[in-house]
Amino acid sequence: MNTRLHTWTWVAWLIVTLIALSATRNLFYLTLILFCLLVNYFILEASFQKGAYPLSLLRFGLMICGFSTVFNLLTSHNGATVIFSLPQAWPLIGGSYTLEAAVYGLTNGLVLFGILLVFTIFSQVLPVRRLIRLVPRVFFPVAVVTSIAVTFVPTTIRQFHQIKEAQLIRGQRLKSLGDWLPLIVPLLVGGLERALQLSEAMTSRGFASSSPAPGKQSSRLVMVSGLLLVTAGWILGSWSGKESLGLGLIFSGLLLLLGALWWMGRQIPHTNYTREVWQAGDGIVLLGSGVLVFVLLSSFAGLTILGSLYYSAYPVLQWPDFDPWIGSALLALCFPAYIMSLGKK
Amino acid sequence: MISLRDVTFTYPGAARPALKSVNLEIASGCFGLVTGPSGSGKSTLLRCLNGLVPHFSGGILSGSICVAGLNPVQASPQIMSRQVGFVFQDPETQFVVDRVEDEVVFAMENLAFPPQEIQARLDNALDLAGLNALRNRRLETLSGGERQRVALAAVLALKPGLLVLDEPTSQLDPEAAEGILQTLVRLNKNLGLTILLAEHRLERVLPFVNSLIYLNTDESGLIVGEPRQVLSHIDVASPVIALAKQLAWRPLPLTVQEAKPFAASMHLPVPEPVEVEHQEQPGEIALQIADIHVSYESYPALKGVSLTVHAGEILALMGSNGAGKTTLLRSLVGLVRVNEGSIQLFGQPTQNMDPANLSELIGYLPQDPNSLLFAETVQEELLFTLHARQPHSRPMKKVRAVELESEAVAQSTQMLVQMGLADLAAAYPRDLSVGQRERVALAPIMVARPRILLLDEPTRGLDTAAKDQLAQILRTWRDEGHTIILVTHDVELVARLVDRVAILEAGSLVAAGNPAEVLSTSPVFKPQMLQLFPEAGCLTPQEIVDRLNPPG
Repeated sequence: MNTRLHTWTWVAWLIVTLIALSATRNLFYLTLILFCLLVNYFILEASFQKGAYPLSLLRFGLMICGFSTVFNLLTSHNGATVIFSLPQAWPLIGGSYTLEAAVYGLTNGLVLFGILLVFTIFSQVLPVRRLIRLVPRVFFPVAVVTSIAVTFVPTTIRQFHQIKEAQLIRGQRLKSLGDWLPLIVPLLVGGLERALQLSEAMTSRGFASSSPAPGKQSSRLVMVSGLLLVTAGWILGSWSGKESLGLGLIFSGLLLLLGALWWMGRQIPHTNYTREVWQAGDGIVLLGSGVLVFVLLSSFAGLTILGSLYYSAYPVLQWPDFDPWIGSALLALCFPAYIMSLGKK
Repeated sequence: MISLRDVTFTYPGAARPALKSVNLEIASGCFGLVTGPSGSGKSTLLRCLNGLVPHFSGGILSGSICVAGLNPVQASPQIMSRQVGFVFQDPETQFVVDRVEDEVVFAMENLAFPPQEIQARLDNALDLAGLNALRNRRLETLSGGERQRVALAAVLALKPGLLVLDEPTSQLDPEAAEGILQTLVRLNKNLGLTILLAEHRLERVLPFVNSLIYLNTDESGLIVGEPRQVLSHIDVASPVIALAKQLAWRPLPLTVQEAKPFAASMHLPVPEPVEVEHQEQPGEIALQIADIHVSYESYPALKGVSLTVHAGEILALMGSNGAGKTTLLRSLVGLVRVNEGSIQLFGQPTQNMDPANLSELIGYLPQDPNSLLFAETVQEELLFTLHARQPHSRPMKKVRAVELESEAVAQSTQMLVQMGLADLAAAYPRDLSVGQRERVALAPIMVARPRILLLDEPTRGLDTAAKDQLAQILRTWRDEGHTIILVTHDVELVARLVDRVAILEAGSLVAAGNPAEVLSTSPVFKPQMLQLFPEAGCLTPQEIVDRLNPPG
């Protein structure tokens, strides 16, 4: 079984994970989501780019959670369970330090760590070319440039380490701000030199060699008309009370804009030599994601058989609820790891 | 295929032209080598062929250029990309995406080739470059030679009539370089592809080419022709040619194979054993490496390496790319943690010393000299090292500070003179040529007078003159008692410079000892003289000449 998931399956998984992460502050559910993400991370890690990040992701996650907890503890003095207090008269740091503030900060940290994990997995599991293909064709040159900028990051980090080591063994110690100059100058100059070499290589391989698309002028006119319609609709809806007319104009304007972009994209000569194939594994991941979205929306809508996603540490810290249905649905976020591990076996 | 008529080109802001009145005609199907000293305009000439000069560089160009029936100045590099494939020195800076197959199809998708044609061209290009087995791999997991093949496949996919390569093997070990050159020969012979290649190491490329273009830095201009004919007019030569010229072999042999009949007809006297009155004792032990193991995550980079190096010795560390040479150097300066075993510098264990402390004993020049250079002038680079070593812990009297500063200036000036850089003291380091930059990067290391010097690939991209200069400097330091460890793929430099050779393979030391002994048994790192006279034990042409005509 070929277990490579379709690019749009990964996009769907990414969106559903982000929805789940932003839908709740319940510590149980957040822990479950992070568990699923870590399962994905460790099972897929073998295919990740080596040395892409300067710091271990887990260590970075712990730093985020720690910082968020401490920051909220120091800045928010709400909550009933006081751990200790400092005199109110002390500027900035005076007041009560509560357990609720610490827990709330921790939940924020877990959400941030989850977002970092999900984007890390997404960017590592999809080759750059498949990411570029997600971008509408009209923005293709911008997408290529952005992808190059993204692939530049690991190289720059590697280069920074090389420079730091080279200066260190020259006897340089980083004690003051001025000591960073020997690191920054070679990094900047080296980065510029690499950028020039790459653009030279791309030019000599025919990048951006296509002639200007015909009909550029007319598509620009359509885009301007679309923008005018959107503006007119917004003005009509906001100030003259003609909301339905305004909405209609906005909708028409947006259609014109999208149409113009689509048409301009068609004029850019570009081909894809392979077409991705939908497979059973995609169906499983998409089904799991669909069920999870349904459960999350039902919970939002207040469906009685499901518990609430809502949880707040304030005003008095309490144990969060745990609904096994929601918990089971969240486990669907592990499906990509399961499908990909089938291939390894 | 190529026609240049009276081409003169000057870079923006340059005082003199990079190319002056160049006339050149290259026929289809030719495999040409472009060579010449650094700064003679090799890269500029190659870039004229696909329009990167002047479109990308700016500058003033006069004369006329015609490549495959097109004028690159009028057509632009993008249009020329269908006729001229260009492979650059560093494969890493050429890649746009992250996988082999994606990289090869990138340009074709961008030029909107039909999918079926892309598929056919992709298969063909991967086949020609010998990359079929690697087509789904991430680029970062490939070796240097494999990456250069990917760059080659990416341009071959566009089916150019002319392939231009700017020092494509300068970063590769001899085996990987040979692989790339064999691929080029196949393309030239089987497909009739015209190839133009710039390279400093003649011994690598001469066996394969049928035309030589020599660019001078002086007014004498360009010499073009059949390699034998051109080489008889210029001083630059591989060891075989240098020997052939000294012994007046005719016709001039270009390769070891061609020189073998001449060598076979010669009687090389066996040297009479010299009675040694007292054996020269090696200096004190500078470095003792005992059974060290180093791993990157679960990958073992060094597996039980033991080595002893004496003071006043030059040791060459050789091996294929990825054999662990750089890791060994990095572990000596404390940049890599040693898992097992011990390292001692002049009897002192290094395990508790940090790199900054170690730097007082060991100087280390990394592969890329640019990672060291940041100051506005060459002299400031040296002063920076000296200031980093001055005491800062307690306030100093103004008089003492002035004394220290004038000492530092004197020391740095002395070092610049010793390294032949006095004229460049006020120059901006990054504006200098590759050879000058290498020496400028070495000067701030040496100004601190470390007792041991580690050099990682110091001759990469250097021309013969710059290499000779560097070799002379290293000899002087060796004679002053410094210990030098040199990581290099340059077999001929090793043959004429070092006292001992150690060969690493797959993280283990497989041979160490006298250069003639070690290199004569190595299938990969064998200098031309040992290939030509396997029994003689001579490493350089001069040794052969001395054997034939003993001094006195």
